Amino acid sequence: MPLTREDVRDIADYARIALTEEELDEMTAYMNEAVELLEPIRQYDLEGVEPTFHPIGDLSNVMADDVPDVEVRALPVDVALSNAGSSRGRSFRVPSILGDQGGDR
Amino acid sequence: MKKLAEVLKDWEAVIGLEVHTELTTLETKMFCNCRLSHDDEPNTNVCPVCLGMPGALPVPNEKAIESIVMAGLATNCQIQRHSMFYRKHYFYPDMAKNFQTTQGPVAFCMHGQLDLEVSGAGAKERPDDTVEKDADGGYVAPIRILRIHMEEDAAKMVHVGGEEGRITAATESLIDYNRCGTPLIELVTEPDLRTPEEARLFMEKLRQTFLTLGISDCSLESGSMRCDGNISLRRRGETKFGTKTEMKNINSFKSLHDALEYEICRQAEVLEEGGIVYQETRHWEPSRRRTVVMRVKETADDYRLFPDPDLAPFDLTDEFIDRCRARIPELPDAKRDRYMADFGLKRADAAQLAGDPSVATFFEEALSAAGEKNAETVAKVMVNLVPSYDALTPAQVASLSALLVEDAITFAQAREVLDAVNGTSEDPAAYVDAHGMRQSTDEGALGAIVDEVLGRCMDQVQQYRDGNKKVLGFLVGQCMKAAKGSGNPKAFNKMLAERLEA
Amino acid sequence: MACLDQLSAAQIAAGVAAGDFSATEVARASLDAIERRDGEVQAFLQVSADLALAAAETTDKARAAGEALGPLAGVPVAFKDNMHLVGTRTTCASRMLENYESTFTATCVQRMLDAGATPMGKTNMDEFAFGSSTESSAFHPTANPWDTGRVPGGSSGGSAAAVAAGEVTVSLGSDTGGSIRQPASLCGVVGMKPTYGAVSRYGVVAFGSSLDQVGPFGRRVEDVALAMNALAAGGRDPWDSTSQPVAVDFLAHLNDPIEGRRVGIVPALMDAAGLTQEVRDAVSAAAKALADQGAELVEVDLPNIASAIAAYYVIAPCEAFSNLARFDGVRYGYQEQGCATLAEQTSLSRAHGFGEEAKRRQMLGAYLLSSGTYDKYYYPAQQVRTLITADYARAYEQCDVILMPAAPRTAFKFGELSDPTQMYASDMFTISNNIAGNGGISVPLGLGAESGLPVSAQLQGPAFADASLLTFARAIERSFSPDGGAPVAPAFAGKGGELA
Repeated sequence: MPLTREDVRDIADYARIALTEEELDEMTAYMNEAVELLEPIRQYDLEGVEPTFHPIGDLSNVMADDVPDVEVRALPVDVALSNAGSSRGRSFRVPSILGDQGGDR
Repeated sequence: MKKLAEVLKDWEAVIGLEVHTELTTLETKMFCNCRLSHDDEPNTNVCPVCLGMPGALPVPNEKAIESIVMAGLATNCQIQRHSMFYRKHYFYPDMAKNFQTTQGPVAFCMHGQLDLEVSGAGAKERPDDTVEKDADGGYVAPIRILRIHMEEDAAKMVHVGGEEGRITAATESLIDYNRCGTPLIELVTEPDLRTPEEARLFMEKLRQTFLTLGISDCSLESGSMRCDGNISLRRRGETKFGTKTEMKNINSFKSLHDALEYEICRQAEVLEEGGIVYQETRHWEPSRRRTVVMRVKETADDYRLFPDPDLAPFDLTDEFIDRCRARIPELPDAKRDRYMADFGLKRADAAQLAGDPSVATFFEEALSAAGEKNAETVAKVMVNLVPSYDALTPAQVASLSALLVEDAITFAQAREVLDAVNGTSEDPAAYVDAHGMRQSTDEGALGAIVDEVLGRCMDQVQQYRDGNKKVLGFLVGQCMKAAKGSGNPKAFNKMLAERLEA
Repeated sequence: MACLDQLSAAQIAAGVAAGDFSATEVARASLDAIERRDGEVQAFLQVSADLALAAAETTDKARAAGEALGPLAGVPVAFKDNMHLVGTRTTCASRMLENYESTFTATCVQRMLDAGATPMGKTNMDEFAFGSSTESSAFHPTANPWDTGRVPGGSSGGSAAAVAAGEVTVSLGSDTGGSIRQPASLCGVVGMKPTYGAVSRYGVVAFGSSLDQVGPFGRRVEDVALAMNALAAGGRDPWDSTSQPVAVDFLAHLNDPIEGRRVGIVPALMDAAGLTQEVRDAVSAAAKALADQGAELVEVDLPNIASAIAAYYVIAPCEAFSNLARFDGVRYGYQEQGCATLAEQTSLSRAHGFGEEAKRRQMLGAYLLSSGTYDKYYYPAQQVRTLITADYARAYEQCDVILMPAAPRTAFKFGELSDPTQMYASDMFTISNNIAGNGGISVPLGLGAESGLPVSAQLQGPAFADASLLTFARAIERSFSPDGGAPVAPAFAGKGGELA
């Protein structure tokens, strides 16, 4: 079943990408065309096939020591904030979070 | 609203907890080597990884993985050899990447259990007979743990402008990423808890366990340990679950109990009036002692979870798990059993002493100074007296216990002694001697006083012999008065009774 | 004296070490070539003249002090603009990061610098590496040096074009579905995508985390081998969990004979729809050349490879959606001004900061990861990935490397492929290798009989057999590039860049 304009609007809301009405039409057409391209994936009988989420062979248990690094990677606050569009004092700044609720943590 | 006891006669409360614990005793964050922040200025401990800078990549902290495996072992979980980190997406700037790195369907620790011992007044909250109760009404509640998974904490946001603390009125928010990326473990229970008291006890036991493991400072107040409660009601005998609400902002054991109590009573009222409980998140307001709606969940959140390609999977080895097991100190339950078996302590006293690792250490130090044969008295002092003082040493407790064992002072005098020596290095025995408080138990000296009192209190002697045994207290008092406080009341009591019964 | 574009990386490093010329002279020659050539090519988004001259001066001082110089001493190198280098902006050719100043240096960049390379600047690309033509750059297109009316391929089009035009000797690109090998093919240079994990991804702005791999471009196989040595030096990167050590000297086996070694040919790929005759003929000629050098040609089958594009267009958009979620205009990046709420600011920043293709990929990913859809596409795509990886493993029991085209056709004109899904077919020969995580390399085969534009072969190999890929690539180079390497595009060769 193809994606409707409303489906695409919902996805755009979720992905935080504001689309104009015209863009919404184009995006809907694109997404349906792209999903069509993916059909071969659905033609397989994949019973018992393990997925490969990481193309890294047997590599596992990669961990780092619990040792602070304040020299090499730590960023001074002015550098940390230097690319921010808006900051106040030592903090990043965002407008009112009205309408947002964050995650379920 | 009806009272809890009344509600729980008709309704069964089904409670599950989600407990987040920051691994505050580690040196560094979960996926980078930034120091963990405690009271630092905003954005002091940040790097490209925890700021979610483009191009930065995560590497898991080995000690954090060890910590969660220890937590799993200590709560009787099955440690999963194979698991992965997942990305959980939501757009909110407290998570720098707009996804949280967490675990998927398989967590490091699955299917554990903690047994709660519920006794005293708290046990009365559970009126049903689905648990076996002992003579005092106490019972053991087995609480299953669904999972404990590893994840990272979010940044702190301060909402500015508008009414103080009200998110909805704030005009802007400031973000401090110091906390972002702090190792966090989330424990989820099965919905096995039935009363607010059980929920409170579960949290206490969990806190004691984690404190013993040394993986966190477990402060509900500062937020290093946080608890959300899921709660629903069903009629007694019903097996289907009702609609649940989720409670947030619980920052003390008391809040946990009170918020759940309120919510149980609120839901019962709604249901009894024929209303509907909506699936929603509610916020506990301690000052107004009520919960209020934060948001209604119309549809399940879709977090677009998928395995994090930047993090290699885990295949924990037996060697790794054994190493974690070897690092687990004696846990509260085992300690309690040892105190009971080795020192003959009462279960409640043993549990209280064993529960808090710092208390247990203090107790054991005092005990080694006082000698194990005095364990019961040391325990009594620890349970009844020590909690009122903030600066006693184990040596002082040992000395005081010895005085009590020797009947050199009374329990009432013990308080006076501790008031005086608290915060000093003074030995209670020295204090007692210096202030002439040491009570005599010398039968010869005390015998003379007893004879003198019996000689002049003929009326009371007669009353005693007529069957009014309570008058003995008056006679002890007369002896004490005559001895000017230096006689031991127990000794007087014994000698008076002997003479009167003769 | 010689023009810079006639020298190999090894010759430059040797010349600097010997004092034939200074690193500063080389840097100035490269800056001169860029100045004279890049107005037309537009390979660069940013030329880091100050950094280049400072690095060259450091090299020259080290030599004066008698210190040992690195294997890339004084070699002018350019970096794709998704790689961080402190002192430069890293824009990913996106409005979103137009003003983003690098706050740290990527491991791959640092290792090139540690080997003595001189950083000339940052090269153009498809926005966030989404594309195969570099046309989706938010700033300007890059021209193919062989025909400036045509695209250089992509997404690492700037890095390929800068080398093809002789502006720099070596460059780095990143390859998620062919973004090194396809532009290398269209620009007639050598381009290598090493095995996943062989080169650190730390500091490279992620597109598809399980697919992305950094690799070098050069006009000679030897230059690419030198760069690979630099990238692998120092072992695995402790800051990249998926990085693995590569204890191989890529130069050591470069000129090993290939006699008796086996080259796999996949007949189905040689007959693939969309493959042009001139490319097919050239790749067949490459097979013959290898056979002439004593290699044995064997037919192998990759039965599931036709599904690689579908698997890729599930996995890559999902990972892209996730990786690009961080661009919300809060900590960095384009921020819409005057918004009353955070939600509005985020949605408009992303709407106006990202270009069309970046939005398309993220939207597709957000859809494919949604609950209910995940099990229909994402999970099975990763299972198909297992099948494709197994196909390769079976094939490599019968051969050492597989020979195939790198791109189905030569460079196309600007605007020629306007439909996004049509563009996706450009990577039909390269994508499967990213799916499997194996290494691959594009090797120039001269000019196509029909188009007169560069044509390449692609060699693919098993995981961590990248040194062997270079051996076979060098064997092809021996047959097809008698001068020892691919030529600089004639329109630009010798234009500026004289070593004073």
